[in-house]
Amino acid sequence: MSFTRRSPFPLATMELDKRAGTHVDATLSQRFTETSLMDKGRDLAEHCVEFGRGLGAQYVEARYQSQLARALVYRNGAPVAGGVQPSVGIGVRLLVDGRMGFASFDRLDRGLADDAMTAAFRMAQNSPRKKPIDLGPPVVNKGKWTVKMRESLLDVDTDTLMGLAQEINEQGKGLQSFTVILNPTDTTKYFVTSEGTQLDGHLSHLFINTLITAEGAKGSEQRYLDFTQSGGWERVKEGRVVEQIADEIRRVKEVADKAEKLPELLNQPVDMVVGPEVAGIISHENVGHPSEGDRILGREGAQAGESFWRDLQIGKSRVGSDAVNVSDDPTLPNTGGFYLYDDEGVKARKRRLIKNGVTNEPLLNREFGVRFGMASNGAARAVTYNREPIIRMANTFFEPGDYSLEEIFEDIKLGVYMRSFGEWNIDDRRYQSKYTGTEAYLVKDGKVTETMVRHPVMETTSVGLLTAADAVTKNLSLAFPATCGKGDPAQGVPVYAGGGEVRFRAIRLGGVG
Amino acid sequence: MTDLDMLKSLVDSALAASKARSDAAIARCRAYTGSQIRFSQSSIDIAQRWEELSLDLVLVVDKEKVAIGRTPVASTDDVKKAVDDMVDVAKRLPASALFAGLEDRPGKFPAMTGNYDGKIDGFAVKAPQMVGAAIDAALQEGAKRVAGALKFSKESFYMRSSLGPEGSHRSTAYDLNVRAFQEELDYSGQGLSCGTKPSADEKAMVAAGRQAGSLSKESIGAKQGEPGTYDLVLSPTVAADFIAFMPGAANPFLVMIGLSPLGDRIGATLAPEFVSASDDALFKGGIGSQPFDFEGTPARTVPIIDRGVLKSFVHNTTTAKMSGTESTGNSAVVAVGLGANMLLPSSTNVVFDNGTHTLEELLEGNKPTIYVTCNWYTRFQNYVTGDFSTIPRDAMFLVKNGKRTPIKNVRISDNTLRMFANITAMGKDRKQILWWEVQTPTVIPSVKVADCRITAATQ
Repeated sequence: MSFTRRSPFPLATMELDKRAGTHVDATLSQRFTETSLMDKGRDLAEHCVEFGRGLGAQYVEARYQSQLARALVYRNGAPVAGGVQPSVGIGVRLLVDGRMGFASFDRLDRGLADDAMTAAFRMAQNSPRKKPIDLGPPVVNKGKWTVKMRESLLDVDTDTLMGLAQEINEQGKGLQSFTVILNPTDTTKYFVTSEGTQLDGHLSHLFINTLITAEGAKGSEQRYLDFTQSGGWERVKEGRVVEQIADEIRRVKEVADKAEKLPELLNQPVDMVVGPEVAGIISHENVGHPSEGDRILGREGAQAGESFWRDLQIGKSRVGSDAVNVSDDPTLPNTGGFYLYDDEGVKARKRRLIKNGVTNEPLLNREFGVRFGMASNGAARAVTYNREPIIRMANTFFEPGDYSLEEIFEDIKLGVYMRSFGEWNIDDRRYQSKYTGTEAYLVKDGKVTETMVRHPVMETTSVGLLTAADAVTKNLSLAFPATCGKGDPAQGVPVYAGGGEVRFRAIRLGGVG
Repeated sequence: MTDLDMLKSLVDSALAASKARSDAAIARCRAYTGSQIRFSQSSIDIAQRWEELSLDLVLVVDKEKVAIGRTPVASTDDVKKAVDDMVDVAKRLPASALFAGLEDRPGKFPAMTGNYDGKIDGFAVKAPQMVGAAIDAALQEGAKRVAGALKFSKESFYMRSSLGPEGSHRSTAYDLNVRAFQEELDYSGQGLSCGTKPSADEKAMVAAGRQAGSLSKESIGAKQGEPGTYDLVLSPTVAADFIAFMPGAANPFLVMIGLSPLGDRIGATLAPEFVSASDDALFKGGIGSQPFDFEGTPARTVPIIDRGVLKSFVHNTTTAKMSGTESTGNSAVVAVGLGANMLLPSSTNVVFDNGTHTLEELLEGNKPTIYVTCNWYTRFQNYVTGDFSTIPRDAMFLVKNGKRTPIKNVRISDNTLRMFANITAMGKDRKQILWWEVQTPTVIPSVKVADCRITAATQ
């Protein structure tokens, strides 16, 4: 997420001025992106690298990051909040005799920077380690990168945003409760290291979150849905945002009206087919998280936890059937997790986490690349300037298989098609997961019926689930935008997840007990 | 210039700059210094330091348009720019459907004690040693590997409202989370310590390490738990999550957006008579304690659950007016998304009355009982109905005939309303909890709940 580009947005300002009543927005955008502020941030970041070296650090990196977030919040069609939040600051990591220190500050002030870095340097000096942290061979990358977009979100005035909000709110009529949060957010960053890396990056997200509560004949149904787009304002149309929201609201209402418990599904194992949204959460929780190198070696032990991959042999251990191929790829254009260089300045690339059911590659940053005897694969992300970069997923998905939609259902005698989910969780080794269906249909004699199943529960182990997979459809849909949480202090980063339809054989639904 | 003088100067600039262009304004300037040491595999991974100086500003223009922002500021020039931007934004916004006024009576604020550690600056130097002592304590109890984080901070703020209220406050806080492991992934234990005076709580930090190590050792050999219906004894850490959810959900905004099951339940009996809980901004040593809220309304102790009955919601001026009652002094600027700050009622410290039972007494009984010491990943299928599940992690024990047997790999899949109603006893081991899974400071003892649904993986 995040990033910097050095130049301001002169065209944006001109375009804004042509629109009636948009001048005030232009003023703010202009101030936020003015060259003097960006230059000041770059200069201070470079000073931080020099100052850190002067303190005696063996490696120093500084990340200047600025972000402009605007927001509109509606409840049941009525506006309840709005605002703007500029954020500018610098985060510095210093490696001191193999010990890591981090300092951040929210004012571009040399004295403050020096004080904060000195404090972090001293704390790191006083923090003994048995094994020094090694970042491996120097990384030197220089250049600029940006998310693809045609119409900057900074050019979009409040009236236009309110217009989109009104369209979205129209779709929520008849719901018991409907909350919408729109956050156009522009992030730029400049990353500089004592090894010579200098990178400018730029990201743009239109965060769209909704909370939907429908009351129907069969009870209350609730969904928290994320429709986040990455890119410019054109993504509203290209991503069919309003149509998607309308479709999901219709589906939630239908579940509240029609879904019913079907006890016969609990009497025996049944075949489950999950849609791209559920495939996405499975790829994220049961594969992506356990593949994180820092978890595998224990660094997240007290927070997000460790990983069952610790006791496996990467490249050899089988955790799923041959049908299971899961990857993570930050380079996919216009995705929530898009970036081209990570927050350690390493070039991003696709990672094949599971190949034909076998663990293939963990997600790595520089420190854990060394510890695994491999190189970083560019998985370090920091959500904002005041957070250290840690290993994160970007866009995680089941690779397409070779089944058509018809083929994947055709030999199922009794089963469930789980299109979407509500409640879910997984233990902190990422081994015992639970997915409770929201929109789910009875599958009988090879056909998806119109009978809606209320809250079917897949409560399994990761290996139990992935070894039961035997088919994946040819399509790939990154149908699950989300915010992934990890770290302490917490870092919620935008991600996408998805896949095609995935079939799991002989699942005993439950929760037993 | 003292820190307070500097904060006052920035706030005065903000109010002066907004005076002619707004109907009302509240400015609150906050200086924050935070540090954290994270550790794993019994070694320190990173030492972190944060410096922040920010201005929270609420501006009301055209009577009903409200803009709320948080901006880093370094000078009065920055403040003036921030006000310019906020006025512009406020004018562009639609009228808020959730605004009915601000506190307009200068109040007398209660005196606060126990919220500031005068030795906080020196503690930064000692902190790595404290982490080392907690790690050593866990290892001495039988742990093989130790992970965790110690965070500590100091904060001071000054606020003034154009409608009259003004005040200042300073506080310090810390929280230590220690998690101890055997070589295996399965056998772990957690210890927590948190409060407002880290330099006075060094023994408690070492005790947290000791508890984590001891629970880890006691977990060795944990067997797969069996799904079924059990009585649960929840440690304060666990109870602070989904039992304390109930008084935390007594919030009109959460009801409005569908994140609370308490909509029409004022006056309803939710729990047995021995269960009482309040939102207590005046709790001594409470991490969320404060003499007044964001609007300058004096803070107080608000009874939420009174002998089992839902007595009150927390309110700010707006929700109080909408509900025909008075503000409870719980107004806060709450981020509901990037750039989306709202003036909402918000919990300060959720405080349960202490119970009367020892842990041993809670674990007694003829029914199969599970003692859960830690949990995480609580997720709701529906906040309105209260259906949820959560995952016990770290040490967990099946208790039969007074004997504890370690178990693992089960899930609590139940309903918060039902569980709250099924509380059968409260411990007398009340403790303050704040950690990754519990974001509101919560003071709560161990809690026993009857007939809970335990599930497990089917394959």
